[in-house]
Amino acid sequence: MSAVMTPDETPNTDLSATSDLGRFLVRHPAALIGLSLLILQILAIIFAPVLSTHDPMQANALRSLQPPSWENWLGTDVSGMDIYSRIIYATRINLLISVTAVGAAFIVGVPIGLLVGYYRGWASNLTMRVFDFVQSFPVFVMGMALVSVMGQEIWNVAIALGVLFTPVFARLIRAEALSLRERSFIAAAKCSGATDIKILFRHILPNALSPAIVQISISIGMAILLTAGLSFIGAGVRMPTPEWGLMVSTGSQQMILGIWWVSFFPGLAIILSVLSFALIADAARDFIDPRRAR
Amino acid sequence: MSKKILLETRDLSVAFDDKLALDRVNIALAENEVLGIVGETGAGKSLLARSLIGLLPPGAERTNGDVWSDDRALSTMSPAELRNLRGGVVSLIGTNAKALLDPVQPVGEQVATVLRSHRRLSHRAARQAAVELFRQVGITDPESRATAYPHQLSGGMAQRIVIAMALVAGPKVILADDATLGLDATIQVQVLDLLVERCRTEGLGTLIITHDLGIVSQYCDRVAIMKDGQIVEQSDVSAFLAGPQTTYGQELLKAAKVRPTLIKSDSNGDAPQSEAKSGPLLQIRDMVKHFRGRDGGVVKAVDEISIEIGRGETLALVGESGSGKTTAGQCIVRLLEIDRGEIVFDGTEIGNLPASEFRAMRKRIQMVFQEPYVALNPRWRVEDLISEPLSLDETVRSAADRRSRVLEMLEAVRLPKALAKVFPHELTAGEQKRVGMARALATRPDFVVFDEPTTALDIRVRAQIIDLIRTLQREMGLSALFITHDLNSVRSLAHRVAVMRYGKIVETGDTSTIFEQPGHDYTRMLLNAELPIERAAEKDLIAAV
Repeated sequence: MSAVMTPDETPNTDLSATSDLGRFLVRHPAALIGLSLLILQILAIIFAPVLSTHDPMQANALRSLQPPSWENWLGTDVSGMDIYSRIIYATRINLLISVTAVGAAFIVGVPIGLLVGYYRGWASNLTMRVFDFVQSFPVFVMGMALVSVMGQEIWNVAIALGVLFTPVFARLIRAEALSLRERSFIAAAKCSGATDIKILFRHILPNALSPAIVQISISIGMAILLTAGLSFIGAGVRMPTPEWGLMVSTGSQQMILGIWWVSFFPGLAIILSVLSFALIADAARDFIDPRRAR
Repeated sequence: MSKKILLETRDLSVAFDDKLALDRVNIALAENEVLGIVGETGAGKSLLARSLIGLLPPGAERTNGDVWSDDRALSTMSPAELRNLRGGVVSLIGTNAKALLDPVQPVGEQVATVLRSHRRLSHRAARQAAVELFRQVGITDPESRATAYPHQLSGGMAQRIVIAMALVAGPKVILADDATLGLDATIQVQVLDLLVERCRTEGLGTLIITHDLGIVSQYCDRVAIMKDGQIVEQSDVSAFLAGPQTTYGQELLKAAKVRPTLIKSDSNGDAPQSEAKSGPLLQIRDMVKHFRGRDGGVVKAVDEISIEIGRGETLALVGESGSGKTTAGQCIVRLLEIDRGEIVFDGTEIGNLPASEFRAMRKRIQMVFQEPYVALNPRWRVEDLISEPLSLDETVRSAADRRSRVLEMLEAVRLPKALAKVFPHELTAGEQKRVGMARALATRPDFVVFDEPTTALDIRVRAQIIDLIRTLQREMGLSALFITHDLNSVRSLAHRVAVMRYGKIVETGDTSTIFEQPGHDYTRMLLNAELPIERAAEKDLIAAV
């Protein structure tokens, strides 16, 4: 009970046990909701052709702006396309863009952060200044600039977001690496003749990864918002591709006329999707936290 | 003795959930008395201290008995009365004084604020009273110190100020919970001298909670030994030192005593084997390592030191924190590059070798790191940790070889084989220390640097580690540099001692010579700050005669 930390107080960081995850979910209902929403989205991605009732890109001038009905569950938009089917298919586009962008940012950002954190020197400083530059622009303006230079393709949106998110991961890993490199188990590894590669990837990386893993979820949520936002202002993907932000945008002019469903349902999809990743991020933070009691 | 009892517990039990953390504790603290409570990590000492001021940590619950102050039970007191008790009647002094002070307020202001909350004083008068208090707790130049912020003070100075604050409201009882943990020995003695002297002159009851029997033997009238939430033994200190009543007390006392001194090479087989190769194993000549300070100045961490270590010999490098001893050790194993000078190991100059050529020597020169837990990668299993340096050893190639070497090392440091598969956080501090030693010894090195191998360990664990190091040295014929500020363990482990201060070696000599006839003032100061229980026993003996 004295102030010296005893080993029994430094609890477990082992993530492997699945029963552990089960118990965790029971005790954290928010995490369970987040996970359920994520599973729903995954189902929508896989079974989109089965779940949808119409062709998501089939315009039908005769059924323009129909309110929700048995024929069109969530109504139709200006071009008479079925909103429900479009929302289902848009899950593919939105999550594809977001997950690709964040995945790329993670894969590129983590090693950069590791190198920049471990080796200090002019190259590290230069890299950090470049990141400062990228991040000093408002995210949205930067995204618009990148997409307008590269063209409004789905992949270009993903690349633009990837560029935006890379510094986030690099910084997180760098911050961890900076403190880990001073820890004495790194010195012990050097005494054991460990090469720099081994120190970086077997000693520092496993201990530095937790915050970055949490950040994945947060960033995916942000990426969904950004993709939708870029489409909304016309800098993202173009019609008739089913994409949530674009759908909100096309319905926004009719809102004032009381035709709410065109924007409302895709908006709801964005909210639920972002919410699911936010809840998962929160839960992941608690789950990874070494101070979490067994 | 009919002294007035100030604070006592009667059959006090405290539990976390259903686990009993304090079990029917009975202690009584009288006025003008110093009571020491000794126990190992997890014995419930700090919980007891918090119970005494009615501040149980969350999750803890009093299940039996009570704490009594002035014939009132704490559980019957109103929140206002409890507030008055804390600070007014009982003051708690904790570990790490700097963390207890507000970092954004000058310390003089902080003490003045406390003064004003207890007495009716004007701002100016309170500040003057604070300066006066600083003078009383032995702070030099109190006027200017009062305007300093906590980060500008040394640890000892901050602890003095915390003591001053504790004394402000004229409490009747002082609880010092490991109040000197982490301070240098010389500072520790100053702080404890001050604390006990102030308490004695004002007739306060003082409770000193510690894991150091040396402190108890030097400062306390009575001692209570705590184990697993129970007081297992309670008696006068002199009686305890003369002969503890319980086996646990005997074990503690035995562990705290100095091990018999090592005897140098020729007399028995304790140290060097045949001097096949002549000359010392390690020779350091005029080694220099400077750091650039934050303010642009140069910190001379290691300033032209020269050391020699013979084959099978152990040299202790002693000094206070900041003397540069750890830096010197890290230079030898090439964790830091030296600025000037040379390090000759077994005839080869290694201090200025390119890193790639030094790699071949790494196998022979290893280091055991200070903090047992931090020095082990938390995500590696024990067997991976121990086998890591084996990549340096070309005789160990196959997985089976590595595995058998790991088991051999576990056996050498007296750990069960089953521990090979566990992670560091599942081990106790003593076991972690042993794993660190097993890793350093895995390549069968000729020379090992031990950095503070005995600090921050409980009494019995510390004794076990000392015994283990001695055995290993004998079995493996190791030469060692032993970096420490724990003079007690130096006696037990080292053949020779080098005393370091401000980056320079001020004195070198045989262990017995240094301890019996120190040549340098600084060495004498270090020795005086030591609190061996033997000395207290001698003192009593002299008093009795």
